Amino acid sequence: MSLQFIPPDVNIDFVGKRYFFVAASTVINIAAILLLVLVGLNYGVDFAGGSIVQVRFSQATDSNHIRGALAPLGLGDITVQDFGNVGHEYLIRFAKVHDIPNLGRALGETLDKAGYQAQVMRVETVGAKVGRDLRTDALEALVFATILMGAYIAFQFRHVSWSFGAGAVIALIHDVLVVTGALVISQLQFDLTTLAALLTVIGYSVHDTIIVSDRIREDAAKRRREDLATVMNRAINETLSRTLLTSGTAITVLIALLALGGPILHPPAFTLLVGFITGTYSSIYIAGPVVLFWEGAGRGRKPLSRAA
Amino acid sequence: MRRINTARGVYLLRLGSKLEATEDTVGLTIVLERADGVERVALRCLIPAGRLSDDERGNPEKIEPRLENWLQSGFEQIREAALRSIRSDRRLWEARFIDAPGPFRVA
Repeated sequence: MSLQFIPPDVNIDFVGKRYFFVAASTVINIAAILLLVLVGLNYGVDFAGGSIVQVRFSQATDSNHIRGALAPLGLGDITVQDFGNVGHEYLIRFAKVHDIPNLGRALGETLDKAGYQAQVMRVETVGAKVGRDLRTDALEALVFATILMGAYIAFQFRHVSWSFGAGAVIALIHDVLVVTGALVISQLQFDLTTLAALLTVIGYSVHDTIIVSDRIREDAAKRRREDLATVMNRAINETLSRTLLTSGTAITVLIALLALGGPILHPPAFTLLVGFITGTYSSIYIAGPVVLFWEGAGRGRKPLSRAA
Repeated sequence: MRRINTARGVYLLRLGSKLEATEDTVGLTIVLERADGVERVALRCLIPAGRLSDDERGNPEKIEPRLENWLQSGFEQIREAALRSIRSDRRLWEARFIDAPGPFRVA
């Protein structure tokens, strides 16, 4: 006997509840935009510019003492973060680097003078202009990825409806906004690794949307007299087991990564976790309803007659 | 201190610690720092004791020329491995010259 996660005859009315979920998602998206504008992302060195220094101390110390020891260098605002080795290892971030030609050596010597036995393991510096350029490039990458995937889906599903492309694009925009909103609230660092995770979320979400859309295309070909809302609801129910199992296994791994992966992996693991959850949700409650609103089929005006 | 020309600009090779000798091996921390100071990465080298001359053991700066060519030829991979180890594993990457002696082939 095979293990069944979802009964084959399950019939949950996803499409009927679309108004509530679309309204809720709209509110969340507006809140995410406001958070982005009013609070903003916590950009890492990659995007904000500045330096990051990883230092290991032979004796445990605390961030206030380190700040005090580095004060003679005049680094401006510095962030000192314990890096998970209980007082022995710290990440030090600051924006001002212009007048320090040999930063690593200067930091090492300053800490030596303050009586620390410290090893400067890593120094990475990104100029402010490079940071700004990277931010622009990142935004362009997100916009182009979203638009091109929407165009591709619109073309692939043109025999059912051109609006599938619009549904996919709006679902992707929804996912990106929800994830960036979560990043603003958590104030986790947004660096190149987090951007890569965000692009992965787009890829995952569109993949999930295609699975549902493809089943809609198949069912639409078989049931030409049914309206699109009925076909869509059946397709979502038919793919529900696959959707939940795929997302569930991925999310389980991401929870483990978030819990055990260490501080460096927190931002990308968090981004992927939120993105996979919202990507699964948007495939059901955003992409489909957009098609229905577009076609007017939700009000029973236009029975589906075209199919691949 | 030695200068290494790489595709990423000139890097300075420095010793980051004294030799840490055991019966069979000699451990040494080295630091690669870009000449303008914007990047610095440390890594450890583990060298079979028998591959170093008495002169090199007494004066670790004399090991630098041996490491220079090795660093120059594999700079990108070595830098990436060293940075990844510090970022992700929070420890210095260790280049082990025990099974593959590389620059220490000739004692």
